[in-house]
Amino acid sequence: MHPGRQLGVLGLIFVVLYLLVFFAGDAKGSFTDRLQPKLGLDLRGGTQATYIASQAGGTPTTESMEQARTIIENRVNALGVSEAEVVVQGKNTIVVSLAGKADDQLKDLAQAANMRFRLLTGTTPDVSASALNPASPSPSVAASGVAPSAAPSGAAKPSAGASAPSITTGPSAGTGGQGGGEAVPSATPSANPSPAASAAAPAATPSASASAAPVPASVQEQRAAVAKKVGAALWAQAEKLTAPVDLSSDPKAGLAYKAFNALSPAEVAALTPQMQFNVPTISCDQLDKRPNGSIDDANSQVVACYSGQAKVLLDQAKVVGTDISSASPQLDQTNGQWVVSLDFTGDGQKKWADLTRVAFNATSSDPCYTAVQALYGSAEHCAVAVVLDKEILSAPQIQAVLTGSSQITGSFTVDSAKQLADQLKFGAIPVTFEAGPAQTISATLGLQQLEAGLIAAAIGMALVAIYAFFYYRLLGSVIFLSLLLSGLLTFGALVFLGRTIGYTLTLAGIAGFIVSLGVAADSFVIYFERLKDEIHEGRTPRSAVPRAWHRARRTIISANTITIMCAVVLYIVSIGAVQGFAFAMGLATVLDLIVVFLFRHPIMTMFANTKAFMSPRVSGLGRVLRRNPTEESVSSRVKEA
Amino acid sequence: MASAGLASRLYAGDANINIVGRRKMWFTIAAALVLISIGSFLIRGFELGIEFAGGTSFSVPAAAGTKTLTQDEVSSAVEKAVKQAAPEAAITTTQKVGDGKDASFTVRASALSTDEAKEAKAAIVNDLGVDASKISDDQVSAAWGGQVTRQAVIGLIVFLVLVVAYLIIRFEVRMAVAALASLLFDLVMTAGVYSLVGFEVTPSTVIGFLTILGYSLYDVVVVFDKVQENTRGITAGSTRTYAEATNLAVNQTLMRSLNTGLVALLPVGGLLFIGAGLLGAGTLKDLGLVLFVGMGFGVLSSILFAAPVLSALKDQEPKIKAHNARVLARRSKGSDDVVRDRTRPANATASDVPAMAGGTTPRPGARPAARRNANRPGGPKR
Repeated sequence: MHPGRQLGVLGLIFVVLYLLVFFAGDAKGSFTDRLQPKLGLDLRGGTQATYIASQAGGTPTTESMEQARTIIENRVNALGVSEAEVVVQGKNTIVVSLAGKADDQLKDLAQAANMRFRLLTGTTPDVSASALNPASPSPSVAASGVAPSAAPSGAAKPSAGASAPSITTGPSAGTGGQGGGEAVPSATPSANPSPAASAAAPAATPSASASAAPVPASVQEQRAAVAKKVGAALWAQAEKLTAPVDLSSDPKAGLAYKAFNALSPAEVAALTPQMQFNVPTISCDQLDKRPNGSIDDANSQVVACYSGQAKVLLDQAKVVGTDISSASPQLDQTNGQWVVSLDFTGDGQKKWADLTRVAFNATSSDPCYTAVQALYGSAEHCAVAVVLDKEILSAPQIQAVLTGSSQITGSFTVDSAKQLADQLKFGAIPVTFEAGPAQTISATLGLQQLEAGLIAAAIGMALVAIYAFFYYRLLGSVIFLSLLLSGLLTFGALVFLGRTIGYTLTLAGIAGFIVSLGVAADSFVIYFERLKDEIHEGRTPRSAVPRAWHRARRTIISANTITIMCAVVLYIVSIGAVQGFAFAMGLATVLDLIVVFLFRHPIMTMFANTKAFMSPRVSGLGRVLRRNPTEESVSSRVKEA
Repeated sequence: MASAGLASRLYAGDANINIVGRRKMWFTIAAALVLISIGSFLIRGFELGIEFAGGTSFSVPAAAGTKTLTQDEVSSAVEKAVKQAAPEAAITTTQKVGDGKDASFTVRASALSTDEAKEAKAAIVNDLGVDASKISDDQVSAAWGGQVTRQAVIGLIVFLVLVVAYLIIRFEVRMAVAALASLLFDLVMTAGVYSLVGFEVTPSTVIGFLTILGYSLYDVVVVFDKVQENTRGITAGSTRTYAEATNLAVNQTLMRSLNTGLVALLPVGGLLFIGAGLLGAGTLKDLGLVLFVGMGFGVLSSILFAAPVLSALKDQEPKIKAHNARVLARRSKGSDDVVRDRTRPANATASDVPAMAGGTTPRPGARPAARRNANRPGGPKR
């Protein structure tokens, strides 16, 4: 490529980068504001939040705190490349510090610690909208209002059958296997299989009596208040419902329950699960906004939303998060799909086997069977919902009686499998967190250290420049200029990345970039020494420059490939501060390559065509040039050429 | 030629220092150093920073009576108090938490026993005049979890496997092994210095340590590139053994290695000077120190260790073995050759080795890949 064109490309990169710096993302404020890189916790301070852990029956163990710390750290790191700090303080407090204002991000970090496994016993679409506006019934309304006992409705399924998750025996377990559907171990086709499903009367309506837990007085009060709000008559009417109101036969039937749609999420939470499920005007939105812990009670039936589209009625939690011993994402070797592998504690395994037996052996007359049918459109076995706090993480169909390690399959990606495994593990920690207020924290190092770092950078650069000028004379200016260019490119990239992907610059990062500038000067030395070799061998600068370039290029590319490889591997594999570092290293190396190819080489090519290049005073190569005639025999030179 | 000083001979790449020939000596020194380092890992272990080992955290209210304390005041008062309670203890970070009246400072220090913490607390109260009931101390866990280390180690292993694969493709198996050996040597040496001297290991140290990975290989690649060039088609001639050709390459790249080393070490030196000299401690010093040590070893080992290991490995190869024997046999017949070879290696470069000679060199601008293939029919490999 023509040298001028290469410089042109470099200029274009510059213009684009700095246009991005000034105008892209949410660039705002004054000229200097737009040039601010996102500084890290140590230099700028940030936000700190404390989470106090509590555990039923005493203080949490050191191990569970460390486990919780790791999971919270993973969540923090998932927020972006920001070097956050997560420590356990004292016996039961986790302190999270993030750079900048991050109150929103800190809110949900320690959330969701209660995991429940519940049999899915009923489902009904969220018809609140159409129940309130019967004038414009959508096609799905006609087929909706599916009672647990009603015929399966195709329109009610939220997702295609292919993506419906399922649980199978893990590869390590001896029994069951992937083909559990064919090899039913103890199928009793028509019998009512287990006590767990005994709430299923012939009509299979969820009955209020199924809720085993006595209702606390406070809830009684809340219910009374709600009854007053919606009106006693309506309350009684709603309480009498034994199945979701069927809007298909009478589209206007839902209108009567309008008052329920105005209830606050907290008030909805106070209703009985049956009312929450049966009253058509209670929306998924209301259910999802119930306070945390609303459906934590393992001994009662609960209602939750599946993918925000269907309300599902869930049985008592037979297995809880603490029954899990481990969970991990795995790549299924046979079909190349991601699955989540689950292992249970000794006691938990027994409970899990019982629960899966009920789900697996259920027949078409069981409410759970029809519920699955309605939800997924097809069913062979009942589903168990994995509920974390208020959210159904997954509602896999049970493919076997699971007596060993289990796998949750479904259309997982690496990330979603990892996330679910993470949440399962988190659910396994028997602690709950209470978030304290987020507070601002000052920088630990502050401007003094930042200034010192910049002075160090200046000193380092000055030393390199002095050395370059001393050794390579005027060619040193090319080194100096390209270092300056590298620096400007790096700075621009930092500002831009800080704004877009949240890359924060810590003092260690600054030091890393200083070092990388020095290493960038290395590729120059390689090039120049090659050039010297070529001239030493008797070439004219005009022919030596391209030759030296081709040879040095090979070396520079090899060496930089290794550095980039190092950065990429560390970035993918590692977490936390190491990941941030790897990012910086990769970035600096790529920018170095850009400068080498688009600046040094074209500049040198142009330089080689000038007369001054040969002058010893101008280029450091002169000494070699002068030595040539005395050292090398001219005749041998001629012979070779 | 004899009149030229070492510096100018270095400059021209014909210093003719016998490095590879003394490989037994380098190996002995290297083995001794590695043994000392490993012994030190086992006996002395490492001085782990608070970020790894956990520590004690003090919370000090920002208001002392009517006046408001500054971050520096609190930081130095706590440092003094902690040092008084336990001489070898230190503080790492000081942060102001919250704003206004309820603001407080959190100072993190090395792990202290209950008694030491109590003593330090009393000293802080004395010094700053704050309400004793408002100062609290707490144990804090490591901020750098075991998982971070584990993932970093996994990353390191994956990287080593990939880099060996890359070096095998780019160079050859024996060069990959030699490069890996030299990299491991650098890492062990750097860790050894930390263990022996008892420098504190902080997250910055670990990060700097990982930087050495790329840098150390960078140096080795530069040297091996030249070795590969010099030994291309070496078995076709019989003037030079593999070890001699390697030594020549080392001499030719000596200035380059010293230059790249120096250029990379200069900014690191700047960091170290500012970090340790002016600020006393902290991120800059930690990073500067580990890089200085590691890069220093990187430069030395690429010259004194990687190339000798490579020649030792290559000498085991049957083809090279036969070639070396032939060269030595020819040399014992006509000793004239040897003298010339020993005294004028730089000129030999220009006229004897086919790869370097003008006759076989392609025109300027030829692609290196093509040249490599065209030149290698009788080469030592493939």
